[in-house]
Amino acid sequence: MATVDVDTETASAARPRRRVDALFVLGLAIVVVVAILAVIGPWIGAYDPTLTTPDVSAPPPSLTELPGLMSTWLAGGPAPHFLGTDTSGFDIFSRLMAAPRTDLVIALSANGLSLVFGLLLGLLAGYFRNFVTELLMRVSDVLQSFPVFISAMVLVALAGRSTANIVIALAFVYTPIYIRLTRAEVLNQKNRGFIEAARALGNRELTIALRHVLPNSLAPALIQSSVTIGFAILLTAGLSFVGAGVRPPTPEWGLMIASGANEIILGEWWSSVFPGIAISITVFGFAVLGDALERRNEA
Amino acid sequence: MLVRYIAKRLGLGILQLIGLVIGVFFIIRLLPADPVARLVGMNASPQAYAQAAHQLGLDRPLLTQLAIYLGFEPSVQPGLLQGSLGASWVTDSLVMSEIAQYLPVTITLVTLSFLLVLIVAVPIGMLGALNPGGRTDKGVFIYSLFAGSQPEFWWGLLFVYIFFFRLGIAPAPLGSLSPMTDPPAPITGFLLIDSLLEGQWSVFVEALDHLMLPVVTLAFVLSGPIIKMVRQNMLRALRSDFVLYADCVGLPRDIIARYALRAAMAPSMTLIGILYGFMLGGAVLVENVFSLGGIGQYAVRAVLAFDYPVIQGVVLVITAISLLVYLALDLFHAAIDPRIIV
Repeated sequence: MATVDVDTETASAARPRRRVDALFVLGLAIVVVVAILAVIGPWIGAYDPTLTTPDVSAPPPSLTELPGLMSTWLAGGPAPHFLGTDTSGFDIFSRLMAAPRTDLVIALSANGLSLVFGLLLGLLAGYFRNFVTELLMRVSDVLQSFPVFISAMVLVALAGRSTANIVIALAFVYTPIYIRLTRAEVLNQKNRGFIEAARALGNRELTIALRHVLPNSLAPALIQSSVTIGFAILLTAGLSFVGAGVRPPTPEWGLMIASGANEIILGEWWSSVFPGIAISITVFGFAVLGDALERRNEA
Repeated sequence: MLVRYIAKRLGLGILQLIGLVIGVFFIIRLLPADPVARLVGMNASPQAYAQAAHQLGLDRPLLTQLAIYLGFEPSVQPGLLQGSLGASWVTDSLVMSEIAQYLPVTITLVTLSFLLVLIVAVPIGMLGALNPGGRTDKGVFIYSLFAGSQPEFWWGLLFVYIFFFRLGIAPAPLGSLSPMTDPPAPITGFLLIDSLLEGQWSVFVEALDHLMLPVVTLAFVLSGPIIKMVRQNMLRALRSDFVLYADCVGLPRDIIARYALRAAMAPSMTLIGILYGFMLGGAVLVENVFSLGGIGQYAVRAVLAFDYPVIQGVVLVITAISLLVYLALDLFHAAIDPRIIV
C-alpha cells in the first residue's frame, strides 16, 4: 500500500495537475451564457427592444400576479413586462436580453483590434530594439498612465458617437497593455535555443520574428483578453452612462442604467437595477475566467 | 546624487508632458468634430459661423494655433509658457481658475476613498495571505476579483436607492452640500478644510455626510485591486528568508506578520500611487452619479461641448499630478532603499 501511495505522489508531481477548477467553470459558464445571449438575445423578449410600449414606468409584476398575466398572454392578450418598463415605456426584459449583442460585439471587436495591433507592435518593440521602438514604448507608457475613461470619452465624443468609433476608441486605449505584455514575453523568448537554431539555418530576421518568436509569445496577451473584454464592457456602459456612448434606443446595459438614474431617487429602482446586475455578473465572469486561465498558464 | 536624480526625473516628466500636450492638441483637432457648429448652432449663417471661428482662433493654420497655445505668441493671447491654459469656449472664464475650483472636490473624494480602502484592505489582504489556500483566503480572493470588476456608477445608484430612498440615512445625491447651505468662503478650495478653518463645524459635518456614499462607492471598487495586491505582496514577503529566520528563532506570529507587512508595503505603494493618478480621472462616473462637481464631471461637460481648451487643460493637469505622484513615490522608495538611485 505504502509504495502505491509514493508512486501516485511522484506521478502527480511530475505531471501538471489538471484539477477541476470551480472558478474556471463558473467564469466559463457566465461567458458562455452571455455569448449565447449575444446571438439569440434580441429574439427572446416578447417586445421589440428598440420600440416603446404604451405602459410607462410599470413596476415588475409581483410573483402572485405573474400566473394571471401569463394566462392572459397565452390567451392572446399582451405579454407581461417581466421586469417592468422604464420612463419611456421600453420593456426592460426585452432590452436586457438584447443588450449583450451590443455590448459583447463592441467589446470583442475592440479587444480583437487591440490584440492584433498590440501583438505586432509588441513583437517589433521586443525583437528589434532601436530608437523607434523605444519611442513607441515611451508613448505607450504615457497613454497607459492616463485614465482610460477620459481618453475613450474624448475620442468617442469628438469622432462621433457611432459603434465603430467606440470600437476604435476602446482598441486605442487597450493596445498599450498588449504591447507591454507581448514585448516582455518576446524579450523572454528571443534568446532561446530554437531561435538561435532558426537563425543558424539561415532564416531572415523578420521570418524568425513572425514564425518562431510570435507564436511562442502569444499566451500572456491571449490570457489578458478575457479581462480586457470584461473591462471593455464596463467602459462601454460607462460611456453610455455619461452620454458619450451608443445612442438610444440601442439596447445597451449602460444606457439602460442611465435611463433609470434620475428615477432611482424617487424609488423607481427597476430600470437601473436589472441591467446593473447583468453587467456585474458578466464582467465578474470575464475577470474570473481570465484569472483562472492565468493560473493555469503559470502552473 | 539625490538632486541629480530628481532633476533627471523632473526633466523626463516635463518632456513627457510636452509630448502629451502636442499629441492631444493634434488628436482633438484631427477628429471630425465641429466645435464652431456646436457653439453657434446648426442653422447659423455662414457669416456668423466664420465670425465664431475667427473668435475661437480656429481660422488660423494649425501650427499657428499650436504656437499660440504653447505661448510663443503672447501678443495674441497668453499661452502655456505664460502659465495660462486659455479660456473656456463655453463659459469664457479661465480654464486654470475653473480647474482650481473643481480639482479639490476630486482630490478630496479620491484621497478619502484611498484612506478608507487602506484601512480596510490591508488587514483583509493580510488575513488572506496568513493562511494561503484556506477558506478565508479563497473568500478574500473571490471578493477582490468581484469588487475589481464592478460598474461603480451602478453601485453608486444602488447605494443611493438603499441609503437615501429606503433608509433615509444619506443625503440626496445632489452635490457636496445641500442647496440651502452657504459654502464657506474659499481659502484653500477644499470644502472640508475651509469649513474647519472658518470654524463652521456644521458645514464640515454636512460636507462629510454628502461625501459618505461617494467615498464608499469608490472605495468598494478600489478595494478589489488593492486587496489583491496586498495579498500577493504579503504572500511573497512571508515566503522570504528573513521571515523563515524569524520563524526559526521562535518569534511570535504577530511580530512576524508585522515584519512581513513592512516588507510588503513598499511594492504596494507603487501600485497605489499609479491607481491614485488614475482615479483623478477615473472618478468621473461616481462624481456624475452624486453631482459632486469634480474635475471628471467638468471633463465630461467639456468633451460633450467640444470645449477644446478645457479638454487640453484637464488632460494636462491630471497627467502632471500623476507624474508628481510617481516622482514622490520613487523618492519615497529611494529613501527606504538607496539602491534604486544608481
